[in-house]
Amino acid sequence: MEQQIRRNFELDPRIELIILMIINVCIFTTNSSRITDIWCVFLAILLFGCGYKKTALKAIIIYVFLLCIQTYIFPIASKIFIMIFSIFVNYTRKIFPCIMIGIFIVKTTTMKKIVLALRKMHVSEKFIIPVSVTIRYFPAIIEEIRNIKDAMKLRKIPILQKIECMIIPLMISAINIADELAAAAVTRGIENPCKKTSLEELHFRPFDFICLLISIGILFTVNIL
Amino acid sequence: MIKETKNLKLTGKDLITIGIFSAIYFVINFIFMILGIVPILWILMPGLIALFSGIPFMILSIKVSKPGAVLLMGIITAVIYFITGQFTILILITFSTGCLLSEFVRWITKYTSFRGNVISYIFFSLGMIGSPLPLWIFRDSFITQITEQGMPETYITSIQALASSEMLVVLIIAPVIGAVVGSLITKKMFKKHFVKAGIM
Repeated sequence: MEQQIRRNFELDPRIELIILMIINVCIFTTNSSRITDIWCVFLAILLFGCGYKKTALKAIIIYVFLLCIQTYIFPIASKIFIMIFSIFVNYTRKIFPCIMIGIFIVKTTTMKKIVLALRKMHVSEKFIIPVSVTIRYFPAIIEEIRNIKDAMKLRKIPILQKIECMIIPLMISAINIADELAAAAVTRGIENPCKKTSLEELHFRPFDFICLLISIGILFTVNIL
Repeated sequence: MIKETKNLKLTGKDLITIGIFSAIYFVINFIFMILGIVPILWILMPGLIALFSGIPFMILSIKVSKPGAVLLMGIITAVIYFITGQFTILILITFSTGCLLSEFVRWITKYTSFRGNVISYIFFSLGMIGSPLPLWIFRDSFITQITEQGMPETYITSIQALASSEMLVVLIIAPVIGAVVGSLITKKMFKKHFVKAGIM
């Protein structure tokens, strides 16, 4: 049942991308704290409505925490405290809506949907394939590094050689992964120039338009405030 | 004598290889971008990236000896940065120029000469200088912009101290040196490990 509820409130990846860009524009054209407040509230409601209640709550708590530090603690804190933390707190508070919509996209959109959306936007296959491989490979890099670290613990390796012993196996494993992945993909017909079919279809739903309108509305209040 | 004509179109295997090494390059790039919070490391960032991303770049250059490999790697890096809002117009200009020049050099040297690859890597690494460049080109508007954004006094003073002409020279020379040293390290690694493994 919960899966059903989430399904109904998913956003089309293209809309998510547009909203992301709107947020970027808002953040980098203004420094008013109210705008980030409005965005965070909107995105928290979105997360909440799509079933990710705990995430929404956590995000709100972190944002309020950052806001409190900025308004109440910085004026009275020592210079050292400001020097160390202010860049981090300022910057994080500023890009917090970006982080939130990033979390939203990661939680609601599968790689399959993103690739579908890109195909619908007539982006060339030459771009879609590398991008999807890149994004999919990020967690694989982390896992490879972990494995290599474990293997290095089995031997005593002098510190100078540690970097070399990390990088070379990583590269060789990357080459092997590339070859195997390419063989699997070519076998599955990635090079066939015909139109790709898919089980899922992407449509624009009323929910997409509502979110888009709200985002554009917030963008215009930026110009007014 | 049968002359083997190389197909210069990117196949599926090439695209996947490009994707994987773009991921590695992006991770290295990202680490040094984050470290760029420290002003002096920001200026040295293109040089440091060049030093460390020599191996993935060279492997990609050799594995996919076709036009478009480097360009795609650059585009993917740029797009991921763009989505997270980190790219300015200036970086876009320098980065795309760097990538295009890099591709051009590869094309001219027919993808086989090591020196050609080093020169193309130098151009590619120079692409990242657009990140600290606003300090010199748009100096006043940049300083006012980051002051408005709430950066602390100490950061602003140290940044202003670094925005001198000597540092500009350092900014441009560092990637060149980094690229050359990175390529030499790569060549040594290739001879030592990859040839033995039969991969290159």
